[in-house]
Amino acid sequence: MSAYSKETIRELVDGTLPWPQTRRIMSAYKDDDRFAKYISVLQDRVAWEDPILLPVGDRLFICDSAEGRVTRCECGHSFGDYRKNWKLNAVISVRNTQESLREIYPNSDLPDPEWMEIREFFCPQCAHLHEVEAAAPGYPIVHDFQPDLEGFYRDWLGTPLKETA
Amino acid sequence: MLDRTANPLRERLLESERLMEETGCYDGITELTLRRQDPLKFETLHTKLRAYCVSAREMARRISASPGVREVGEMVVAIYTPEGDAIALSNGIMVHVHTMSRFIKWMIKNGYEENPCIRDGDIFANNDAFIGTVQVPDVMDVVPIFYEGTLVGWAGAVCHELEAGGITPGGDVCLAQERFTEGLFVCAEKVGENDEIRRDYVIRCERNLRMPIYWVLDEKAKVAACIDMRESVKQLISEVGLEYWQRLAKEFIEEGRRAQLARTRQLTVPGIYRGHTFYGHVTEGKPGFQPLGPPNWLYNIPIEMEIKSDGKIRMDFDGTQPWGYHSMNCTPAGMDGGMFVTLTQHMNFEGLVNDGAWMATEINIPHGTWTNPDNEMAATATSWALLLPAYGVFQRLLSRGFIARGFVEEAFVGQVNSPMIEMGGTSQYGTQFGMAHFECAAAGSGALAIKDGLDTAYVGWNPESDMGNIEIWEQNMPMVYIGRSIVPNSGGAGKYRGGCAFASTWLINKTEHLRLVTSEHSSRVFDNGGLCGGYPAPTCEKHHAVRGSDIFEKAAKGEALAHTPGTDPLVSDFERRYKGEQVFEEGPYITKPHKSGDIFSHAYNGGGGFGDVLERDPVKTAWDVENGFLTREAAEQVFGIILKDDAEGYPLADIDATVARRAEMRKARLARAIPVSEWIAREATRVKKQDFALEVTRMYRSAMQLSPRFTREFKDFWGLDADYAFAGEK
Repeated sequence: MSAYSKETIRELVDGTLPWPQTRRIMSAYKDDDRFAKYISVLQDRVAWEDPILLPVGDRLFICDSAEGRVTRCECGHSFGDYRKNWKLNAVISVRNTQESLREIYPNSDLPDPEWMEIREFFCPQCAHLHEVEAAAPGYPIVHDFQPDLEGFYRDWLGTPLKETA
Repeated sequence: MLDRTANPLRERLLESERLMEETGCYDGITELTLRRQDPLKFETLHTKLRAYCVSAREMARRISASPGVREVGEMVVAIYTPEGDAIALSNGIMVHVHTMSRFIKWMIKNGYEENPCIRDGDIFANNDAFIGTVQVPDVMDVVPIFYEGTLVGWAGAVCHELEAGGITPGGDVCLAQERFTEGLFVCAEKVGENDEIRRDYVIRCERNLRMPIYWVLDEKAKVAACIDMRESVKQLISEVGLEYWQRLAKEFIEEGRRAQLARTRQLTVPGIYRGHTFYGHVTEGKPGFQPLGPPNWLYNIPIEMEIKSDGKIRMDFDGTQPWGYHSMNCTPAGMDGGMFVTLTQHMNFEGLVNDGAWMATEINIPHGTWTNPDNEMAATATSWALLLPAYGVFQRLLSRGFIARGFVEEAFVGQVNSPMIEMGGTSQYGTQFGMAHFECAAAGSGALAIKDGLDTAYVGWNPESDMGNIEIWEQNMPMVYIGRSIVPNSGGAGKYRGGCAFASTWLINKTEHLRLVTSEHSSRVFDNGGLCGGYPAPTCEKHHAVRGSDIFEKAAKGEALAHTPGTDPLVSDFERRYKGEQVFEEGPYITKPHKSGDIFSHAYNGGGGFGDVLERDPVKTAWDVENGFLTREAAEQVFGIILKDDAEGYPLADIDATVARRAEMRKARLARAIPVSEWIAREATRVKKQDFALEVTRMYRSAMQLSPRFTREFKDFWGLDADYAFAGEK
């Protein structure tokens, strides 16, 4: 079975691992200890101490904190209870005019703003763009991911989470 | 266990399904006995079967006359159990491994053993999607494998035909609004006996197709592949024994099922994943479209995926749109196939894949929707138009799981539509012709979570993507290339950008009658998406033609020509450079024939982006600008990357200026954005007033008519009264 150093996983996650090495990792059998090393790499990256339980985006994590299990931006901003849609506590900017769409699509044909808009969900603290939805006007905001966190740790990792308050 | 030699096939099939139901294991195989007894022999035999398939496909490609099969590999072959479950398969258009399985099962369930009988040397063909394929040009041939008088399996092959004899030339017949205009149907027919294709079948093909040489020679190629696989399997059985083979084939599939479950548990996280995409299509005012339904459509494609504790993946299309009088409907076979081809390339990339992987999944395709029409007269000629966006969502949902689990190298923003151009009329040789141009099999891919997407090198339906050689295409059509180039900024923006698309520009040459038709255009809305902050790639581009251009005069004078439409969204290089009638066309290109001297341009699609644009590497961006993948304007405006020129005039990232520009852009983001709660309160007023375009209103009304869940979730989200409903059309 494959195994890689934490440094290799760090470079892989950062997108800085040279391509030939990345290609070999893609072609090889997967490494069983990946999740533990991955979490460790991500924990080193954030400035806060609360343990990361599960990444749910590029810079978005479920972590254990004094306020319970929350979805948190890498900058430390909390989006609240991880079971609720974090997007509802974000700030949003909507592109629903030709002018605002043209800012992202300078050369191409544009969608019809009467049929479709782009919704940008930002962290209100660091302005990181966490997610983009392309949706018809009036379409409900999507709750992208509701992990079975307890089941994952208990049944798949074999290390049940501690009870929360 | 059932006697596998004496009972009719139909009983065997039903027994196999009952055993799966009872034990949860394929055909009641609860123990992989042969694998345990001799794992090396077991793996060796599986590899041998795969080698038979790959070798047969490569041999057949050299028999085919079609550039679709020869150049871009639009073919797949597989070996099946007697009940029609795939044991081993080749590379290629793997979507059809499972659709062929449905075809074989359909014949068994419909009493083909009694009439027309299943005998050694028989050849059966099908291209009816309600029996088992995706669309009419996907013609499949299967032959039974008999060993000493016992049916021991099937060998099957599919080619995508470049011409299907529909109302418009080609195979993706976008003008078809019902089954009756899609082209030549072969509905699970016995088309050959004693290893020979029947002459009357060939005559039918010759008299009903614009370019029968492609179809007929592909038939021969497929039959050759099937016979090759059949003889190899018989040789194998003579070495291992019949009983061993019968158990082995079943164990391979059960092993595939278990491997899929294990892989899901290894790579993902259990839970509920959601996503959606849309498709917007415009045919209003186009010649030939009958007024059978609305001329313009907006389709929503919401998908909920559940990964269960045992590793089973369940996909649910509840909430999507009804089937319609257009060519983009899909059958259950096509939906199965789309899921199969996505799984094989996105999760089961080790090669040991078969129908077992499919058995580790579930799919809910609501009756009456485009995913499962309740009318078998519905047309499916361009079902990829909706399939590809749908399974692009599936790839993004799986990728969210890979990212959560740490396998970031497998996360992939996914597949996109790649509009097809087809043609017919009088060839450059003065003969009748018809052809689908398959360079569309090389779109831009979505980005990965660790790098940019593939430029001009990926489509979802065939992971072995290839655009083919210009010279080969030029041999087969009365057009010559005057340009084939990367479309700058055609990948979705992000920390990692989507792969870029390309555009081709042709000069119509040596013909006075060339019909050009295109399909799979979502011009009004994005039919792809980004992930984790990445933007979707641009919508499908409009067509641009110049009728009666002065290109020959310009060439005679040695003047510079325009080889692409250029990057100015307001005035194209064609308008600047060529005289003649400038034509712009949105959506499918249905128009009067072209003739020598006309110019036509067709663009393919790029993939969605990954991550926040303001994290994109400035140095890599300078390289992108230098090589034509991004424009300098986009680098600064979209990515916040300031470029300067080096001593030789090449773009060079100005890191300090970029840092300052990005700080400004972050401030601007927060200045412009509002709390989501505030936005919801404002939008709820609009929803209550139903202040939407006609097509948007129609989409919501249709979704609510078909789906109580969509209705409930829509009302809950916007805080609407229980009796809220979208008004009917006047």
